[in-house]
Amino acid sequence: MAERRLPEPAGSELRRDERIEFSFDGRRQVGFGGDTLASALTAQGVDVLSRSFKYHRPRGVLCATGGCPNCLVEVNSEPNVRACVTPITPGAVVRSQNAWPTLNRDVLSLTDRFDRFLPIGFYYKTFIRPRRLWPLYEAVLRRIAGLGRVDLKSRPDLHPRKRHLHADVVVVGGGRAGCLAALEAASLGSSVIIVDDGMNLGGELRTRRRIVEGDPRIAGRPGTEAAVILAGLVSAEPRIEHLGGGTAIGIYDGGLVAVAQGATFVRIRTTKVVLATGAAERPALFEANDRPGIMLASAVLRLAHLHGVRAGQRAVVVTDDDHGWRQAAELVAVGLQVAAIVDSRTEGPEGLIVEALRAADVEEIRGARVLGSQGRHRVTGLRVRTSIGTERTLATDLVVMAFRPEPVVTLAAQAGLTLAFERSIAEWIPRQGQADVIVVGRMTGLVDDSLITAGASLAGRLANGTAGHDSDVDIHQTEVAAAFAALPDRQPTAIQRGHKQFVCFCEDVTAGELAQGVREGFESLETLKRYSTVTMGPCQGKQCQGNAAQVTAAARGVSRQTTGLTTSRPPVQPVPLAVIAGPHLNPIRRTALHDRHESAGATWMDMGDWKRPLDYGDTNAEVRAVHDSVGLIDVSTLGKLDVRGRDAGEFLDWLHPSRFSDLRVGRIRYRAMTDDAGIILDDGTVARLGDDRYLVTTGTGSLDAVDQWLRWWLAASDRRVDVTNVTARFAAMNLAGPRARDVLAQLTTADVSAEGLRYLDAREFAVAGVPVVILRIGFVGELAYELHTPADRAAHLWDALVRAGAEYGIRLFGVEAQRVLRLEKQHAIIGQDTDALSDPLGAAMSWLIKSDRPDFIGKDALAELKARGLRDVLAGFEMVGTAVPAEGAAIVREGRPIGRVTSSKWSPTLGKAIGLAWLPAADAVDERHITVRMGKGREGATAQAIVRTTPFYDPDGVRVRS
Amino acid sequence: MIGPLRRWRVMRPQEQRSGYDVVIVGGGVHGLAIAYELAKRGVRDVAVLEKAYIGAGGSGRNTAIIRSNYRTPEGVAFYDESVRIYERLGVELGFNVLFSQHGHLTLAHTDSAVAGLRVRAEVNQLQGVDSVVVGVDEIRKLAPALDLSDRPRYPIQAALYHPPGGIIRHDAVVWGYARRAAEMGVHVHQGVEVTGIDLAAGRIAGVRTNHGSIRAGTVVNATAGWASTIAAMVGVRLPIVTHPLQALVTEPLKPFLNPVLVSATLHVYVSQTDRGELVIGAEIDPYASYSHRSTLSFMETSVAHVLELLPSVANVRVLRQWAGICDMTPDFSPIIGPVPDVPGFILDVGWGTYGFKAGPVAGRRVAELIATGQTPAVLAPFSIERFATGSLIGEKAAAAVSH
Repeated sequence: MAERRLPEPAGSELRRDERIEFSFDGRRQVGFGGDTLASALTAQGVDVLSRSFKYHRPRGVLCATGGCPNCLVEVNSEPNVRACVTPITPGAVVRSQNAWPTLNRDVLSLTDRFDRFLPIGFYYKTFIRPRRLWPLYEAVLRRIAGLGRVDLKSRPDLHPRKRHLHADVVVVGGGRAGCLAALEAASLGSSVIIVDDGMNLGGELRTRRRIVEGDPRIAGRPGTEAAVILAGLVSAEPRIEHLGGGTAIGIYDGGLVAVAQGATFVRIRTTKVVLATGAAERPALFEANDRPGIMLASAVLRLAHLHGVRAGQRAVVVTDDDHGWRQAAELVAVGLQVAAIVDSRTEGPEGLIVEALRAADVEEIRGARVLGSQGRHRVTGLRVRTSIGTERTLATDLVVMAFRPEPVVTLAAQAGLTLAFERSIAEWIPRQGQADVIVVGRMTGLVDDSLITAGASLAGRLANGTAGHDSDVDIHQTEVAAAFAALPDRQPTAIQRGHKQFVCFCEDVTAGELAQGVREGFESLETLKRYSTVTMGPCQGKQCQGNAAQVTAAARGVSRQTTGLTTSRPPVQPVPLAVIAGPHLNPIRRTALHDRHESAGATWMDMGDWKRPLDYGDTNAEVRAVHDSVGLIDVSTLGKLDVRGRDAGEFLDWLHPSRFSDLRVGRIRYRAMTDDAGIILDDGTVARLGDDRYLVTTGTGSLDAVDQWLRWWLAASDRRVDVTNVTARFAAMNLAGPRARDVLAQLTTADVSAEGLRYLDAREFAVAGVPVVILRIGFVGELAYELHTPADRAAHLWDALVRAGAEYGIRLFGVEAQRVLRLEKQHAIIGQDTDALSDPLGAAMSWLIKSDRPDFIGKDALAELKARGLRDVLAGFEMVGTAVPAEGAAIVREGRPIGRVTSSKWSPTLGKAIGLAWLPAADAVDERHITVRMGKGREGATAQAIVRTTPFYDPDGVRVRS
Repeated sequence: MIGPLRRWRVMRPQEQRSGYDVVIVGGGVHGLAIAYELAKRGVRDVAVLEKAYIGAGGSGRNTAIIRSNYRTPEGVAFYDESVRIYERLGVELGFNVLFSQHGHLTLAHTDSAVAGLRVRAEVNQLQGVDSVVVGVDEIRKLAPALDLSDRPRYPIQAALYHPPGGIIRHDAVVWGYARRAAEMGVHVHQGVEVTGIDLAAGRIAGVRTNHGSIRAGTVVNATAGWASTIAAMVGVRLPIVTHPLQALVTEPLKPFLNPVLVSATLHVYVSQTDRGELVIGAEIDPYASYSHRSTLSFMETSVAHVLELLPSVANVRVLRQWAGICDMTPDFSPIIGPVPDVPGFILDVGWGTYGFKAGPVAGRRVAELIATGQTPAVLAPFSIERFATGSLIGEKAAAAVSH
């Protein structure tokens, strides 16, 4: 372990006195506190961390920032964990993915040798004939697809949490520019949240020994020290909250920034966003550019500076820019041995930076091209062609790719900023000054320390709102423009020939394949992306976007400006489903009488969010009690809307085919509501409790929709109406049966006689000492009273009714008994017996429609439906035999469906199986025999039924009016 | 074997002519299927104009579910024909569209939902479509990843199982049609946006585009979410409201989920592609918009609902979310056929959230209409005149389980 670790001060995150053991593919591994899985494994000499998607090639650390697929492993049964950003934990069981039988001997790596049989889009071109074999081919394709494995028996509990934060300014990126912008905005009074995916602030400075220039607080210091100073300044500033280890995964409309911070999902609402997402190196293109030991320079430096890991013994740096020389010097400074630097340019840098490398004995190979790598499970050599045309192989175990970093613009693009092509750097950068988003730092394409720090503090003032379009902004923008203008147009590095130059590490797409895709006609980067799947894998374009665009441009003979970029979409970094979903919250609603039902032995059922008693153990007895004596049911879940105001009656008229403005105070009318197409939305009752006051009841499940429907229509009108949802405020119970009046009379002094409280009367008086709105209506075919009372009095009223009813043998009845009772009366349940096609004419509710009045919703549609004539109607039926058909069973004639059963029950009262069904109007006549399906399949069994268009029970409604 | 694979050409830029017999606006599955079917019938002076790239709209953004277990006999017949064409499409086009027929499970969590499934099963079975209501034990065999315990807030009670249903590689369908149509002489012009439609003596005379004018006696509007804007160019107001529809996809996983899962109660559907990703979708957004921006609330809600169904995927990661736009009609049925007041203007619009499933059959029938001048019987109910006569069609009832 020793020789792969660098001495202090390297390893700023490491706690070397804390030894942590874990396992990788069954082998014991050790690391230090502060290690990531990848850093610990690298220090232990483990080079291969995964096998690639298509060719099963060995892969190791590439980016060390969680931005590539190379280190995806399974940790404690969690698939696709990014080892390079996941801290090691004691006893963690880490397994490699996509390899069989072992990571180092993977059978499917054979595909790597047959790649010419698997060209881009090969599956579109093959396995077409014979068609019957496709399922076999597909089964094979399916078997080899995917990366991580889901353990179906597992029930992972990530203990997710949601936070809702507010800040004046959100800064994404805690590097130099982000910190400076945050400090400036906070010093001017703004509340600021900094989001950064590292645990410590400072960003790229933390891996840099070079002296920083610019802001006086950090100028003249090495980067590593400057990072510590900045972090200290931020933590000392009370107006800044630092979300460390958090990734801003999306910027959504309305100033909403989503942050994934471990198992916590943070939603931040803000007015200004400062983006400081920096710049990132791009992998180089050469043959076998994917071998373990070939890494980005930034990754090597992160491993060294943060985790004290020496990624290799003999490094060769590959570059096309001065940046590579600076990175080489940083490698030397942190203690790595650099054997050579290979620069594709003949004109390289001179001066101090070169001196430093020469002092470290680094060979300079200028004007050379990298041809390819050698090695098996780790790189052992790098083949280059020198400027004079000879080929050389450099012995190395660490190829460091140090091409000029590209601005990281994915979040900016996803936030909706337009990007502009900057010729001098041949990159896309966000335009400044859009949509309350300010961009700063290296993502703006700048590299100059002074300009970056000046721009950062200016951004802080802009975010605070104190800098407007003043001279500072103009001066800065002029300086920035001048800096770009001073540079010559940058020429892209030529793409060379050669196999297995991987553009996309996620899906194993090579430069050659992309060029092939272009030749096949996929010239647009968006179609090429879908054809080749480049940028669509786990890295979402982080490693491949730039190279894909460049290869495409080269293949088409156009510039990267022409090819553009593919669309950036959230999340910027993959986030576990459970973290996005948050805590598991599914509301359960209980009525005020829940405990009473529980102690009465209720069987529960779900009705929307509500729990309702299905029965109390004996549905038939419950039905009999209601018919013969008296029963009591909790109907608190009915929707209750208090509609009041000067225009309340007229408003209800507008919403319904029937009229309510002429309803007398103290009376009730049945209501059914239709939409513009004449489709029934909901039904219930309207009770007029005062001149300007109505109580509107709705179905349990339709309350929210009705409430919204009312508000929607109110929003667009100047009617003076208030709608209040009082569903939870009031409990409701229905006392039903021939002895209901006798029970009620015991509990009130009010006149409840047949004359004093008639059918469809509404009154307000005290029952059992509590205020009650009493509606004489019923759904179950008997004399019935619906009692609405404040929820906190409900239990008292319920108990009083039960006591008073004891002498009549009162029974509690549940939803199932109510369903039987209403079916005996052929009362339809909206939503069960009707659907999104049912109109009142077909549902035998045409009596509701009062069309001789001004416009109402659905008036024209209903008139058209009437003119067209009835097609299908809802009608009752009784079975010839005793079998009860399934709800949903088809009514057939000559093997074709002509209708369907919507409700069916055994009626203990009638001793028959009865139901409701939709039938062609011509068949919906009394005594007509119909055929009901009882079995499955095309030739399933059937049974006979007889149509009954009038209620089975008390067809004249004598009992309900009694 | 390898040579021909490498000599493949899917798209080839063609010189835009000054006129075509038929101009099809919209390079999605509908526009391209119409073009291909026209070419098959010998009508080859045809151009498809696509303002972005082919498949850029709904065809490349839908969740690629194919099924025929609809609720009305008309719907079942229509989509059954579509499934049958899809089954043979790879052979017909010489392009593998990766139709993965691992079945389709519509889950019911309530009594009423179970009854709703039975209604569909009955209609399906009577028309010879493989579709049956199955109980929990059968569901467990088909999709062992589902949580079939009492733990979920709304436990699964039953499902409608439709074995021929499945998912397809939607882009491949688009490319396959485009490639074959182009081989037969059709022009497919990408990056060409129609900016106006010319009339002469009350009938269609051509289109204006960002690449010049094109004469045409017949113009087909197959632009889905943008359908009403194209129709407005000839003064036709369509009863269409455009709504966003969103989806998301996870990282690739070893396949563990074969059938498509749909839950109307939870407003979510999920499938696993041959590449291993879980594709998750939901209902349309409740507001009208042409925006293709994703929302956070969609992702939070639909993901929470997926975890009710599949708790073992809690630590699987979301890779990407996106949005498309859908042309919704009042009766959840398309508008197909000529417009009486504007001779030469043909509609194939209003496909809402179910357009991809119907692309091949719509293409075949619309091509028949154009080539023969006669409206095929299966298309008659879908004419725009139904909104004047009130003869609306009824898939809205089944649309509560739209995918």
